[in-house]
Amino acid sequence: MSIPGNTPLPKRTIGPLFWLLFGAGGMLSALFGPALILLTGVMIPHGWGVPASFGSYESVLAFACNPLGKLVLLAVIALLFWHAAERLFLTLHDMRAAPAALLRWLTYGVAALLTIIVAALLLAIGL
Amino acid sequence: MSERRPYLRPQPRTWWAHPPYRAYTIRELCGVALAIYAAILLAGLICLARGPQAFESYRAFLASPLSLVIHLALLVTTLWHMVTWFRILPKTMPKLVWRGKLVPQALMTNAATLVAVICSVGLLATAVVVGAWL
Repeated sequence: MSIPGNTPLPKRTIGPLFWLLFGAGGMLSALFGPALILLTGVMIPHGWGVPASFGSYESVLAFACNPLGKLVLLAVIALLFWHAAERLFLTLHDMRAAPAALLRWLTYGVAALLTIIVAALLLAIGL
Repeated sequence: MSERRPYLRPQPRTWWAHPPYRAYTIRELCGVALAIYAAILLAGLICLARGPQAFESYRAFLASPLSLVIHLALLVTTLWHMVTWFRILPKTMPKLVWRGKLVPQALMTNAATLVAVICSVGLLATAVVVGAWL
């Protein structure tokens, strides 16, 4: 596709970044979400099919201290928040629940804050 | 001042709760439910950082019937998210052409859903095998 010479290029926005995080979270949860919920919420706490020691303090601490484990935790938790933020923003915007700027702060803003908290916790746990 | 005064059909404020928009609302809220699961994981991370005692109470919550009900409800919403996510997928990506023919959207949806089932079952199987090994 070519852009005629006298037409200015579309203004760059931060929108695609949010869209990327939304897509990554949606794909991650669609591929592995059901298994993750079954594992961490049903099988490990009750010891069904897997040893209950998977959920012990020592095991989870070892997982959270491993750099790869930290990356998995950050990816899963933060991307799910960003995915939900995008969907909640668009839905509330369509419902005309509040002005768009306020909704952006309540969704993207909260997702950003929670991402910082998760990153800070993961950095603190290894020390 | 704008000269345009287009006719805007009146729309009830609860349009999203009625067909045909209800399916859209349910789909979006199933995506939002993923945040509850993320919040449960985040709570676990906070308890982990606070020490063994806090983490034991977190484990006690996870083993409670209330937590089981919450997680089974989350499992249902996440499965619906999975189904609808791959229904949207072919509509959001560029058209796929294979040997001069357009790949049907239903085929892409089914193939992607199959991949997702393989991913989830594979992860569960890995956990069970590793658990039996140790």
